[in-house]
Amino acid sequence: MAKKTYDLLFKLLLIGDSGVGKTCVLFRFSDDAFNTTFISTIGIDFKIKTVELQGKKIKLQIWDTAGQERFHTITTSYYRGAMGIMLVYDITNAKSFENISKWLRNIDEHANEDVERMLLGNKCDMEDKRVVPKAKGEQIAREHGIRFFETSAKANINIEKAFLTLAEDILRKTPVKEPNSENVDISSGGGVTGWKSKCC
Amino acid sequence: MVQLRLAAWAEVQTPAGEGLLEPLVSLSLLCFYSLGIPLLGMQAEQHQEEEEEGEEEKEGSGGGCEPEGAFRKNPFQLTVEDVYDISYVLGRELHKISSEPRGEMAAKVAHLQFKVVSVLEMLEALVNESNLTVEALKMERDSLKREVEELRKQGSHSAAEEVSLGPNKMVVDLTDANRPRFTLQELREVLQERNHLKAQLMVVQEELQCYKSGLMSQKQHPIEPTHKEPAVGSASGSSTGSEEKTIVKRLFAFKRPR
Repeated sequence: MAKKTYDLLFKLLLIGDSGVGKTCVLFRFSDDAFNTTFISTIGIDFKIKTVELQGKKIKLQIWDTAGQERFHTITTSYYRGAMGIMLVYDITNAKSFENISKWLRNIDEHANEDVERMLLGNKCDMEDKRVVPKAKGEQIAREHGIRFFETSAKANINIEKAFLTLAEDILRKTPVKEPNSENVDISSGGGVTGWKSKCC
Repeated sequence: MVQLRLAAWAEVQTPAGEGLLEPLVSLSLLCFYSLGIPLLGMQAEQHQEEEEEGEEEKEGSGGGCEPEGAFRKNPFQLTVEDVYDISYVLGRELHKISSEPRGEMAAKVAHLQFKVVSVLEMLEALVNESNLTVEALKMERDSLKREVEELRKQGSHSAAEEVSLGPNKMVVDLTDANRPRFTLQELREVLQERNHLKAQLMVVQEELQCYKSGLMSQKQHPIEPTHKEPAVGSASGSSTGSEEKTIVKRLFAFKRPR
Protein backbone atom coordinates (compact mmCIF):
# COMPACT_ATOMS: atom_id res chain seq x y z
CA MET A 1 0.00 0.00 0.00
CA ALA A 2 0.87 3.66 -0.05
CA LYS A 3 3.87 4.85 1.92
CA LYS A 4 3.91 8.20 3.64
CA THR A 5 6.45 10.80 2.68
CA TYR A 6 7.09 11.62 6.33
CA ASP A 7 7.18 9.92 9.73
CA LEU A 8 5.95 12.72 11.92
CA LEU A 9 4.10 15.94 11.47
CA PHE A 10 4.82 18.82 13.79
CA LYS A 11 2.65 21.84 13.88
CA LEU A 12 4.49 25.06 14.71
CA LEU A 13 3.24 28.60 15.22
CA LEU A 14 4.93 31.96 14.77
CA ILE A 15 3.72 34.84 16.95
CA GLY A 16 4.92 38.34 17.84
CA ASP A 17 4.26 42.01 17.10
CA SER A 18 3.45 43.18 13.61
CA GLY A 19 6.54 43.87 11.51
CA VAL A 20 9.11 41.91 13.54
CA GLY A 21 9.72 39.59 10.59
CA LYS A 22 7.75 36.43 11.32
CA THR A 23 6.81 35.91 7.69
CA CYS A 24 10.38 36.60 6.56
CA VAL A 25 11.78 34.14 9.10
CA LEU A 26 9.40 31.51 7.76
CA PHE A 27 10.03 32.42 4.14
CA ARG A 28 13.78 32.09 4.70
CA PHE A 29 13.32 28.69 6.28
CA SER A 30 10.83 27.28 3.78
CA ASP A 31 12.07 28.84 0.54
CA ASP A 32 15.54 30.09 1.51
CA ALA A 33 14.61 33.52 0.20
CA PHE A 34 14.15 37.04 1.51
CA ASN A 35 11.96 39.90 0.40
CA THR A 36 12.37 43.42 1.74
CA THR A 37 8.86 44.60 0.88
CA PHE A 38 6.65 44.51 3.92
CA ILE A 39 3.33 42.84 3.27
CA SER A 40 1.26 42.54 6.40
CA THR A 41 -0.01 38.99 6.87
CA ILE A 42 -3.78 38.74 6.65
CA GLY A 43 -5.00 36.66 9.56
CA ILE A 44 -3.11 33.40 9.23
CA ASP A 45 -1.05 31.57 6.65
CA PHE A 46 1.10 28.46 6.67
CA LYS A 47 4.02 26.81 4.99
CA ILE A 48 5.27 23.27 4.89
CA LYS A 49 8.84 22.10 5.22
CA THR A 50 10.02 18.55 5.66
CA VAL A 51 13.21 18.03 7.63
CA GLU A 52 15.09 14.94 8.70
CA LEU A 53 15.95 14.49 12.36
CA GLN A 54 17.40 11.37 13.98
CA GLY A 55 16.62 9.40 10.86
CA LYS A 56 13.01 10.53 10.90
CA LYS A 57 11.33 12.52 8.23
CA ILE A 58 9.47 15.26 10.01
CA LYS A 59 6.99 17.39 8.20
CA LEU A 60 6.77 20.84 9.74
CA GLN A 61 3.54 22.62 9.19
CA ILE A 62 4.38 26.16 10.24
CA TRP A 63 1.56 28.59 10.88
CA ASP A 64 2.38 32.23 10.37
CA THR A 65 0.10 34.60 12.29
CA ALA A 66 -0.71 38.26 11.71
CA GLY A 67 0.80 40.37 14.48
CA GLN A 68 -1.83 43.06 14.18
CA GLU A 69 -4.27 43.28 17.03
CA ARG A 70 -7.29 43.27 14.69
CA PHE A 71 -6.59 39.63 13.76
CA HIS A 72 -6.16 38.60 17.36
CA THR A 73 -9.33 36.52 17.64
CA ILE A 74 -8.52 34.66 14.45
CA THR A 75 -4.90 33.95 15.33
CA THR A 76 -5.48 32.85 18.91
CA SER A 77 -7.76 30.07 17.71
CA TYR A 78 -4.70 28.49 16.08
CA TYR A 79 -2.68 28.32 19.31
CA ARG A 80 -4.47 25.23 20.56
CA GLY A 81 -3.15 22.81 17.96
CA ALA A 82 0.45 24.03 18.03
CA MET A 83 3.17 21.73 19.37
CA GLY A 84 5.79 24.46 19.19
CA ILE A 85 5.51 28.23 19.29
CA MET A 86 8.14 30.72 18.16
CA LEU A 87 7.77 34.12 19.78
CA VAL A 88 9.56 36.68 17.62
CA TYR A 89 10.59 40.23 18.52
CA ASP A 90 12.63 42.80 16.64
CA ILE A 91 15.95 43.83 18.24
CA THR A 92 15.53 47.30 16.67
CA ASN A 93 12.05 47.75 18.16
CA ALA A 94 11.83 48.15 21.94
CA LYS A 95 8.05 47.92 21.95
CA SER A 96 8.11 44.50 20.33
CA PHE A 97 10.41 43.36 23.14
CA GLU A 98 8.22 44.88 25.85
CA ASN A 99 5.25 43.00 24.41
CA ILE A 100 6.91 39.61 24.95
CA SER A 101 5.15 39.21 28.28
CA LYS A 102 1.83 39.90 26.56
CA TRP A 103 2.53 37.21 23.96
CA LEU A 104 3.65 34.77 26.66
CA ARG A 105 0.36 35.41 28.43
CA ASN A 106 -1.47 34.65 25.18
CA ILE A 107 0.37 31.33 25.01
CA ASP A 108 -0.62 30.52 28.59
CA GLU A 109 -4.23 31.35 27.82
CA HIS A 110 -4.71 29.73 24.44
CA ALA A 111 -2.04 27.09 23.79
CA ASN A 112 -1.59 23.55 25.05
CA GLU A 113 0.13 23.36 28.40
CA ASP A 114 3.02 21.23 27.10
CA VAL A 115 3.73 23.41 24.06
CA GLU A 116 7.44 23.98 23.28
CA ARG A 117 8.26 27.67 23.35
CA MET A 118 11.17 29.54 21.81
CA LEU A 119 12.14 33.21 21.77
CA LEU A 120 13.69 34.79 18.68
CA GLY A 121 15.26 38.25 18.49
CA ASN A 122 15.08 38.93 14.78
CA LYS A 123 16.87 41.46 12.54
CA CYS A 124 20.20 40.85 14.30
CA ASP A 125 21.96 41.95 11.10
CA MET A 126 20.93 45.54 11.89
CA GLU A 127 23.47 46.06 14.65
CA ASP A 128 23.53 49.85 14.14
CA LYS A 129 19.82 50.10 14.90
CA ARG A 130 19.78 47.67 17.81
CA VAL A 131 17.90 48.87 20.89
CA VAL A 132 17.46 45.53 22.67
CA PRO A 133 20.76 44.09 23.94
CA LYS A 134 21.24 40.40 23.39
CA ALA A 135 21.65 39.95 27.14
CA LYS A 136 18.14 41.23 27.76
CA GLY A 137 16.72 38.65 25.38
CA GLU A 138 18.75 35.92 27.04
CA GLN A 139 17.62 37.07 30.45
CA ILE A 140 13.89 37.05 29.71
CA ALA A 141 14.25 33.65 28.00
CA ARG A 142 16.02 32.30 31.09
CA GLU A 143 13.33 33.70 33.36
CA HIS A 144 10.69 31.79 31.44
CA GLY A 145 12.80 28.70 30.90
CA ILE A 146 12.73 28.84 27.13
CA ARG A 147 15.33 28.71 24.37
CA PHE A 148 16.56 31.90 22.75
CA PHE A 149 18.23 32.78 19.47
CA GLU A 150 19.06 36.00 17.77
CA THR A 151 18.20 35.57 14.11
CA SER A 152 18.30 37.38 10.81
CA ALA A 153 16.05 36.30 8.01
CA LYS A 154 17.83 38.76 5.73
CA ALA A 155 21.36 37.57 6.51
CA ASN A 156 20.19 33.99 7.09
CA ILE A 157 21.52 33.79 10.63
CA ASN A 158 20.28 31.04 12.96
CA ILE A 159 17.03 30.56 11.04
CA GLU A 160 17.42 26.88 10.25
CA LYS A 161 19.07 26.27 13.60
CA ALA A 162 16.10 27.74 15.43
CA PHE A 163 13.52 25.64 13.57
CA LEU A 164 15.55 22.46 13.85
CA THR A 165 16.16 23.00 17.56
CA LEU A 166 12.47 23.53 18.17
CA ALA A 167 11.63 20.43 16.14
CA GLU A 168 14.22 18.42 18.09
CA ASP A 169 12.76 19.58 21.38
CA ILE A 170 9.32 18.47 20.27
CA LEU A 171 10.69 15.19 18.92
CA ARG A 172 12.41 14.54 22.25
CA LYS A 173 9.11 14.42 24.08
CA THR A 174 7.16 12.71 21.33
CA PRO A 175 6.41 9.13 22.34
CA VAL A 176 8.25 6.81 19.96
CA LYS A 177 5.96 4.71 17.87
CA GLU A 178 7.30 1.51 16.40
CA PRO A 179 7.87 1.08 12.68
CA ASN A 180 4.18 0.52 12.35
CA SER A 181 4.42 4.18 11.43
CA GLU A 182 1.94 3.55 8.68
CA ASN A 183 -0.65 5.24 10.81
CA VAL A 184 1.12 7.77 12.94
CA ASP A 185 -1.61 9.56 14.72
CA ILE A 186 -0.85 13.16 14.02
CA SER A 187 -4.13 14.66 15.02
CA SER A 188 -3.80 13.59 18.66
CA GLY A 189 -0.59 15.54 19.02
CA GLY A 190 -1.45 18.77 17.37
CA GLY A 191 -4.99 18.60 16.11
CA VAL A 192 -3.73 18.85 12.59
CA THR A 193 -6.35 19.06 9.92
CA GLY A 194 -7.17 15.69 8.44
CA TRP A 195 -5.03 15.80 5.33
CA LYS A 196 -2.39 13.13 5.14
CA SER A 197 -0.17 12.77 2.23
CA LYS A 198 0.15 9.29 0.98
CA CYS A 199 2.05 8.47 -2.06
CA CYS A 200 2.45 5.43 -4.20
CA MET B 1 -63.32 114.68 54.30
CA VAL B 2 -62.78 111.16 55.49
CA GLN B 3 -64.62 109.84 52.48
CA LEU B 4 -62.24 111.75 50.28
CA ARG B 5 -59.27 110.31 52.06
CA LEU B 6 -60.53 106.85 51.66
CA ALA B 7 -61.21 107.53 48.03
CA ALA B 8 -57.63 108.69 47.66
CA TRP B 9 -56.50 105.58 49.47
CA ALA B 10 -58.56 103.40 47.19
CA GLU B 11 -57.12 105.18 44.21
CA VAL B 12 -53.66 104.43 45.44
CA GLN B 13 -54.62 100.80 45.71
CA THR B 14 -55.15 100.54 41.95
CA PRO B 15 -52.68 98.26 40.28
CA ALA B 16 -49.21 99.58 39.81
CA GLY B 17 -47.77 100.21 36.38
CA GLU B 18 -50.19 102.89 35.22
CA GLY B 19 -47.38 105.36 35.39
CA LEU B 20 -45.92 107.44 38.12
CA LEU B 21 -48.13 110.42 37.68
CA GLU B 22 -51.40 109.13 39.06
CA PRO B 23 -50.00 107.63 42.30
CA LEU B 24 -48.03 110.81 42.83
CA VAL B 25 -51.12 112.90 42.44
CA SER B 26 -52.92 110.57 44.81
CA LEU B 27 -50.08 110.82 47.30
CA SER B 28 -50.13 114.58 47.13
CA LEU B 29 -53.86 114.60 47.54
CA LEU B 30 -53.58 112.26 50.46
CA CYS B 31 -51.03 114.54 52.12
CA PHE B 32 -53.03 117.63 51.50
CA TYR B 33 -56.05 116.06 52.96
CA SER B 34 -53.99 114.99 55.92
CA LEU B 35 -52.95 118.61 56.32
CA GLY B 36 -56.49 119.72 56.09
CA ILE B 37 -57.66 117.45 58.85
CA PRO B 38 -56.73 119.76 61.76
CA LEU B 39 -59.43 122.11 60.58
CA LEU B 40 -62.03 119.54 61.49
CA GLY B 41 -63.18 118.68 64.96
CA MET B 42 -62.25 115.73 67.14
CA GLN B 43 -65.47 114.06 66.26
CA ALA B 44 -64.54 113.84 62.65
CA GLU B 45 -61.22 112.37 63.50
CA GLN B 46 -62.74 109.69 65.67
CA HIS B 47 -65.05 108.87 62.88
CA GLN B 48 -62.04 108.63 60.56
CA GLU B 49 -60.29 106.18 62.82
CA GLU B 50 -63.34 103.99 62.95
CA GLU B 51 -63.38 104.01 59.19
CA GLU B 52 -59.70 103.16 59.16
CA GLU B 53 -60.23 100.19 61.39
CA GLY B 54 -62.96 98.96 59.12
CA GLU B 55 -60.66 99.44 56.22
CA GLU B 56 -57.83 97.64 57.90
CA GLU B 57 -60.09 94.71 58.57
CA LYS B 58 -61.02 94.66 54.93
CA GLU B 59 -57.34 94.76 53.98
CA GLY B 60 -56.53 92.00 56.44
CA SER B 61 -59.27 89.75 55.14
CA GLY B 62 -58.11 90.51 51.61
CA GLY B 63 -54.70 89.09 52.39
CA GLY B 64 -52.91 92.49 52.58
CA CYS B 65 -51.28 94.15 55.61
CA GLU B 66 -52.22 97.04 57.83
CA PRO B 67 -50.54 100.33 56.81
CA GLU B 68 -48.01 100.12 59.70
CA GLY B 69 -46.77 96.83 58.21
CA ALA B 70 -44.90 98.82 55.55
CA PHE B 71 -42.44 100.02 58.23
CA ARG B 72 -41.45 96.47 59.10
CA LYS B 73 -40.85 95.43 55.51
CA ASN B 74 -37.50 94.72 53.93
CA PRO B 75 -36.53 98.02 52.19
CA PHE B 76 -35.77 96.08 49.02
CA GLN B 77 -39.24 94.57 48.93
CA LEU B 78 -41.08 97.88 49.24
CA THR B 79 -43.83 98.56 46.75
CA VAL B 80 -45.31 101.91 45.84
CA GLU B 81 -48.36 100.93 47.86
CA ASP B 82 -46.12 100.57 50.90
CA VAL B 83 -44.88 104.10 50.32
CA TYR B 84 -48.49 105.26 50.31
CA ASP B 85 -49.12 103.33 53.50
CA ILE B 86 -46.11 105.03 55.06
CA SER B 87 -47.35 108.40 53.93
CA TYR B 88 -50.77 107.65 55.29
CA VAL B 89 -49.43 106.60 58.67
CA LEU B 90 -47.07 109.57 58.86
CA GLY B 91 -49.91 111.91 57.91
CA ARG B 92 -52.09 110.41 60.59
CA GLU B 93 -49.38 110.74 63.26
CA LEU B 94 -48.60 114.31 62.25
CA HIS B 95 -52.27 115.07 62.34
CA LYS B 96 -52.52 113.67 65.84
CA ILE B 97 -49.66 115.88 67.00
CA SER B 98 -50.90 118.98 65.23
CA SER B 99 -54.34 118.54 66.64
CA GLU B 100 -52.97 119.07 70.12
CA PRO B 101 -54.22 122.49 71.30
CA ARG B 102 -50.97 124.43 70.99
CA GLY B 103 -51.03 126.99 68.19
CA GLU B 104 -47.43 127.21 67.17
CA MET B 105 -47.00 123.48 67.17
CA ALA B 106 -49.53 123.01 64.39
CA ALA B 107 -47.65 125.32 62.02
CA LYS B 108 -44.34 123.52 62.68
CA VAL B 109 -45.93 120.17 62.12
CA ALA B 110 -47.39 121.42 58.85
CA HIS B 111 -43.93 122.57 57.77
CA LEU B 112 -42.45 119.23 58.71
CA GLN B 113 -45.30 117.49 56.92
CA PHE B 114 -44.38 119.11 53.57
CA LYS B 115 -40.82 117.90 53.97
CA VAL B 116 -41.98 114.42 54.81
CA VAL B 117 -44.20 114.47 51.75
CA SER B 118 -41.32 115.48 49.50
CA VAL B 119 -39.16 112.68 50.96
CA LEU B 120 -42.01 110.25 50.43
CA GLU B 121 -42.39 111.41 46.85
CA MET B 122 -38.70 110.73 46.26
CA LEU B 123 -39.11 107.34 47.85
CA GLU B 124 -42.15 106.69 45.69
CA ALA B 125 -40.22 107.51 42.54
CA LEU B 126 -37.28 105.33 43.54
CA VAL B 127 -39.41 102.37 44.56
CA ASN B 128 -41.47 102.67 41.41
CA GLU B 129 -38.38 102.83 39.25
CA SER B 130 -36.71 99.88 40.98
CA ASN B 131 -39.89 97.82 40.86
CA LEU B 132 -40.21 98.46 37.14
CA THR B 133 -36.60 97.45 36.68
CA VAL B 134 -37.15 94.28 38.69
CA GLU B 135 -40.22 93.54 36.59
CA ALA B 136 -38.28 94.03 33.35
CA LEU B 137 -35.43 91.86 34.61
CA LYS B 138 -37.85 89.14 35.65
CA MET B 139 -39.37 89.12 32.18
CA GLU B 140 -35.90 89.02 30.66
CA ARG B 141 -34.99 86.13 32.95
CA ASP B 142 -38.11 84.16 32.05
CA SER B 143 -37.55 84.53 28.31
CA LEU B 144 -33.91 83.51 28.73
CA LYS B 145 -35.04 80.48 30.74
CA ARG B 146 -37.36 79.46 27.94
CA GLU B 147 -34.57 79.95 25.43
CA VAL B 148 -32.17 77.83 27.49
CA GLU B 149 -34.83 75.15 27.82
CA GLU B 150 -35.29 74.99 24.06
CA LEU B 151 -31.57 74.95 23.40
CA ARG B 152 -31.18 72.21 25.99
CA LYS B 153 -33.84 70.14 24.22
CA GLN B 154 -32.11 70.58 20.87
CA GLY B 155 -28.77 69.83 22.51
CA SER B 156 -30.07 66.65 24.10
CA HIS B 157 -31.42 65.57 20.71
CA SER B 158 -28.08 65.95 18.96
CA ALA B 159 -26.29 64.54 22.00
CA ALA B 160 -28.61 61.51 21.86
CA GLU B 161 -27.56 60.93 18.27
CA GLU B 162 -23.93 60.98 19.28
CA VAL B 163 -24.55 58.79 22.32
CA SER B 164 -26.26 56.18 20.15
CA LEU B 165 -22.88 55.82 18.43
CA GLY B 166 -21.21 55.00 21.71
CA PRO B 167 -17.59 55.43 22.76
CA ASN B 168 -16.30 52.37 20.89
CA LYS B 169 -18.18 52.91 17.65
CA MET B 170 -16.97 54.38 14.42
CA VAL B 171 -18.58 56.08 11.47
CA VAL B 172 -18.18 54.38 8.11
CA ASP B 173 -18.12 56.37 4.91
CA LEU B 174 -20.40 54.37 2.61
CA THR B 175 -18.87 55.97 -0.47
CA ASP B 176 -15.39 54.75 0.45
CA ALA B 177 -14.53 51.76 -1.73
CA ASN B 178 -12.05 50.62 0.90
CA ARG B 179 -14.46 50.81 3.80
CA PRO B 180 -14.55 47.77 6.09
CA ARG B 181 -17.50 45.60 5.09
CA PHE B 182 -16.65 41.99 5.88
CA THR B 183 -16.91 40.45 9.29
CA LEU B 184 -14.12 38.72 11.13
CA GLN B 185 -16.10 35.49 10.84
CA GLU B 186 -16.21 35.84 7.06
CA LEU B 187 -12.47 36.49 6.98
CA ARG B 188 -11.91 33.48 9.21
CA GLU B 189 -13.90 31.28 6.83
CA VAL B 190 -12.12 32.58 3.75
CA LEU B 191 -8.74 32.00 5.40
CA GLN B 192 -9.74 28.50 6.46
CA GLU B 193 -10.82 27.68 2.96
CA ARG B 194 -7.65 29.19 1.51
CA ASN B 195 -5.45 27.21 3.87
CA HIS B 196 -7.42 24.03 3.26
CA LEU B 197 -7.05 24.40 -0.51
CA LYS B 198 -3.38 25.23 -0.07
CA ALA B 199 -2.92 22.02 1.90
CA GLN B 200 -4.74 20.05 -0.75
CA LEU B 201 -2.63 21.62 -3.46
CA MET B 202 0.48 20.54 -1.58
CA VAL B 203 -0.80 16.99 -1.39
CA VAL B 204 -1.37 17.01 -5.11
CA GLN B 205 2.04 18.55 -5.77
CA GLU B 206 3.66 15.94 -3.60
CA GLU B 207 1.94 13.13 -5.41
CA LEU B 208 2.89 14.64 -8.70
CA GLN B 209 6.47 14.74 -7.52
CA CYS B 210 6.29 11.08 -6.59
CA TYR B 211 5.02 10.11 -9.96
CA LYS B 212 7.52 12.29 -11.73
CA SER B 213 10.47 10.87 -9.84
CA GLY B 214 9.27 7.39 -10.69
CA LEU B 215 8.76 6.36 -7.12
CA MET B 216 5.64 4.53 -8.12
CA SER B 217 6.36 0.90 -8.54
CA GLN B 218 4.53 -0.53 -11.46
CA LYS B 219 4.43 -3.85 -9.76
CA GLN B 220 2.69 -2.50 -6.71
CA HIS B 221 0.31 -0.40 -8.69
CA PRO B 222 -0.17 -1.80 -12.13
CA ILE B 223 -1.80 0.74 -14.34
CA GLU B 224 -5.41 -0.10 -14.46
CA PRO B 225 -8.31 1.40 -16.30
CA THR B 226 -9.83 4.26 -14.36
CA HIS B 227 -12.92 2.34 -13.32
CA LYS B 228 -10.84 0.43 -10.77
CA GLU B 229 -9.77 3.60 -8.96
CA PRO B 230 -12.36 3.49 -6.16
CA ALA B 231 -10.38 0.72 -4.44
CA VAL B 232 -7.38 3.04 -4.13
CA GLY B 233 -9.57 5.92 -3.08
CA SER B 234 -11.14 4.03 -0.21
CA ALA B 235 -7.73 3.24 1.21
CA SER B 236 -6.68 6.86 1.44
CA GLY B 237 -7.08 8.94 4.56
CA SER B 238 -9.75 11.41 3.53
CA SER B 239 -12.41 11.50 0.87
CA THR B 240 -11.14 14.77 -0.56
CA GLY B 241 -7.67 13.31 -0.67
CA SER B 242 -8.95 10.33 -2.55
CA GLU B 243 -10.65 12.57 -5.05
CA GLU B 244 -7.43 14.44 -5.63
CA LYS B 245 -5.61 11.18 -5.97
CA THR B 246 -8.13 9.88 -8.43
CA ILE B 247 -7.76 12.92 -10.60
CA VAL B 248 -4.00 12.75 -10.50
CA LYS B 249 -3.98 9.05 -11.27
CA ARG B 250 -6.43 9.57 -14.02
CA LEU B 251 -4.18 12.12 -15.58
CA PHE B 252 -1.33 9.68 -15.48
CA ALA B 253 -3.48 6.78 -16.52
CA PHE B 254 -4.33 8.66 -19.63
CA LYS B 255 -0.74 9.58 -20.21
CA ARG B 256 0.88 6.22 -19.66
CA PRO B 257 -0.73 4.24 -22.45
CA ARG B 258 0.56 6.63 -25.06
